[in-house]
Amino acid sequence: MMKNTALITALCAATALASPAFAETVLRLDEVAVGELDPAKASDYADSILMFNVYDTLVLPAQGGPGHTPHLAASWDVDGATYTFTLRDDVMFQSGNKMTAADVVYSVERMQALGAGLSYLFAGVTAEAVDDTTVTLTLETPYAPFIASLVRLPIVDMTLVKANSDSEWGEDFLSGNGAGTGAYSVTSHNPQEETVMAKSDSYFLDVADVAPDTVRLRYGLEPATVRTLIAQGEHDIASQWLPPEVVQALANDGAQLLTESGTGGFYFKMNTQKPPLDNVNCRLALSAVFDYGTAIQMIAINDEVSGGSPSTGAIPVGMFGANGSDMVQTQDLDAAKAYLADCPYDPAEMNLEISWIAEVPLEERFALLMQSNFNEMGISSSITKLPWALFAEQVSTAETTPHISQLFVNAVTGDPDTLLYGMYHSSTPGTWQSPEYLNDAEVDAALDAGRSATSDADREAAYSALNARLMAIAPTIYGFDRQSVFAASNRVNVPALSDPAMAFGLDGMGFSFRLMEMTGE
Amino acid sequence: MSGFLRLLLNRLGISLIVLVGVSMLIFAIARIIPGDPARIALGPNANAEQIAKLRAEMHLDASLPVQYGHFVVDVLRGDLGTSLYTNRPVTQDIAQFLPATLELVFLAGFIMVAVGLPLGILAAHYRGRWQDHLVRVIALLTVSAPAFVWAVILMLLFAFYLPLFPIAGRISDIYDIERTTGFLTIDTLLAGNWTAFGSAVHHLILPAIALSLSGIGQAARLTRANMVETYDKPYIEMAQAYGFFPSRIARSYAFKPSLIPSLTIIGLDFAAMLGNAFLVEAVFAWPGLSRYGVAVILRKDLNAIMGTVLIIAITFLIVNIIVDLMIAFLNPRIRYSTRGTS
Repeated sequence: MMKNTALITALCAATALASPAFAETVLRLDEVAVGELDPAKASDYADSILMFNVYDTLVLPAQGGPGHTPHLAASWDVDGATYTFTLRDDVMFQSGNKMTAADVVYSVERMQALGAGLSYLFAGVTAEAVDDTTVTLTLETPYAPFIASLVRLPIVDMTLVKANSDSEWGEDFLSGNGAGTGAYSVTSHNPQEETVMAKSDSYFLDVADVAPDTVRLRYGLEPATVRTLIAQGEHDIASQWLPPEVVQALANDGAQLLTESGTGGFYFKMNTQKPPLDNVNCRLALSAVFDYGTAIQMIAINDEVSGGSPSTGAIPVGMFGANGSDMVQTQDLDAAKAYLADCPYDPAEMNLEISWIAEVPLEERFALLMQSNFNEMGISSSITKLPWALFAEQVSTAETTPHISQLFVNAVTGDPDTLLYGMYHSSTPGTWQSPEYLNDAEVDAALDAGRSATSDADREAAYSALNARLMAIAPTIYGFDRQSVFAASNRVNVPALSDPAMAFGLDGMGFSFRLMEMTGE
Repeated sequence: MSGFLRLLLNRLGISLIVLVGVSMLIFAIARIIPGDPARIALGPNANAEQIAKLRAEMHLDASLPVQYGHFVVDVLRGDLGTSLYTNRPVTQDIAQFLPATLELVFLAGFIMVAVGLPLGILAAHYRGRWQDHLVRVIALLTVSAPAFVWAVILMLLFAFYLPLFPIAGRISDIYDIERTTGFLTIDTLLAGNWTAFGSAVHHLILPAIALSLSGIGQAARLTRANMVETYDKPYIEMAQAYGFFPSRIARSYAFKPSLIPSLTIIGLDFAAMLGNAFLVEAVFAWPGLSRYGVAVILRKDLNAIMGTVLIIAITFLIVNIIVDLMIAFLNPRIRYSTRGTS
């Protein structure tokens, strides 16, 4: 017995000696679209995940509440339309180069020159380096949510780019390489397969040991593949685009459900230039007849988690101007009949075209629900499936835009301006965000007031007025406030996606890998 | 000039004409697909000025013949342009993704031939007996379901319920193999890393089987039908009357003439796998050219569409030439009949 015990002890000791002190931890997640590595071209979710981890920005959204906190900038002052930032002097790029004000200027000018992604946020901004740690950004006109926009200005290593590219803006280099200060550096990037990132050992903030050492962001996995990979223990966080049934199955198998909310909604956008939707009573009738409760049930994962929460109006709960959560929209057939009575068009001859985006099969279900609701009031309609490319083409003119278009829209900076201005201001018709073709002076005034107001109270008042006006003229049926749901293994904890007090209120920033914890399970 | 050389030159000439025709056709079709490529490339937030600028850079405002002229000049310089999907030169994308698909298709083709032909021979040899019935049922089963259905079924059986095979990627994450040829089975051997080679083969098995199954059924059915027809020929009866062994009759007198029509179909199947590989590549997260091709079509990435289609067309034509040469080798009458046409 003693002999056996000694042998086992020796074997255990030998095994312990042979094993590394810390096993490398790998986080594996996926996104549907290929991630764009060039930060000046980043716009969708996968791009944002890459950008927020490989690059840093001057400010960060505050966790668990409104406002922004310093990040690369140690502090800032505002003087009218001029913002002066004092930069931290201890930040190094992954290349070893020191981050200076010249890099900030280069990053702004690069965004403007390339004109891609979300560069429109920085149109008309003049950047000037005062000294190595001071930079001024001057706007053509005051813009209240400018600080919020800075979460979309990743700072690029100018020296590295110029050393590795013949072109001024280094598109060739940055499409396959990282040049940021971020907590993770790019190890490899295969647009058809995955981007691999490794934890940087020179990050200017402390990163916990439990944060993943390596991250593999995979692209274009099929739902069945994701489900099997998670079952095999070879995948950690699924994208938000899994069908609800697959998320339910994963949850039933023990997966945790991570959520991100408060940044956007799901909208049925009505073409206000096209009869019969050019009449407000017709639009109000459609808004009242829609079955919001069933729509919410259709996206429920289980009793506790859903792909959305009930809409309370034109502005998602949590943003400036949002209605209280007790003002949930519901189907009201009596009101619908009353509005329809004042609608000058014959319901039987309306023949409304309800479109859905071919790449989002969930939308077909909403189209069928809507058609069924309309049938209850004798309103004729037809359903059209549109590939995204064709939809983007059709909405460029009011004549070719369908009567009703279904869209998920989010605030790209977390501020309501980036959600609502592009949708409703009369100066921005004909984009994928604005198939309503709304032209309303009161709406324009409220949107402009939201941009120019300097205090939170004034902005709240401006957006409350906007919300009320939008509900009164109903250019859109506000389906639900969106909540992204991610099925994940129990090998990872993501406080920013599971604890509201740690949430950023900005799409994709919850995937800051440096704040994640590998559990070792 | 030998019959083979004449046949080869003849087929090369025809292939060149086909290639030019395909390029013109795809060039026109790619521009008819709904959606403005510049608008799609720049993303949903681009303004009209940015779109107009990119359209000008891409020559999209010129007439179709002028655009085609630009394309031909660039191709002759070896420049297929930049992919708007990956933001890289299309040639770089093809060089990275084509070996993955070829590796998959080669193994699937090998399985198709190695399993399909013997099954067909077996069924013909035991015509009307249980072995024949069994092969016919198997063949019908494999032909009746498309490759992606088999991909999902195999994944459920051998990865989800019985976790025997990996289902994503080409090799385990733990290996960092230098890509010399792009064929991971070869690159791992060149690196002398046998465990990595095992991992690459392990990753290949399920997708290759899924891709090959319908071809196996088709090859088995065709080979059986041709062999059964050949067995009814008088010279086979004569060989049987002479008392030749059944295995000698099958090998020397029945199989070779039966092989010619099968070979033609197998050749076409093999080339068609390049296109059919898309869904298998999607299910198994295989980073190949077929999946890339569909992705670029959905994004109306004109340069990448043209590059992908041209490469698939060239591969298709090369496979057909090889099949023609093999058939000519098996049947001298075809070899010498080209005299009249050349």
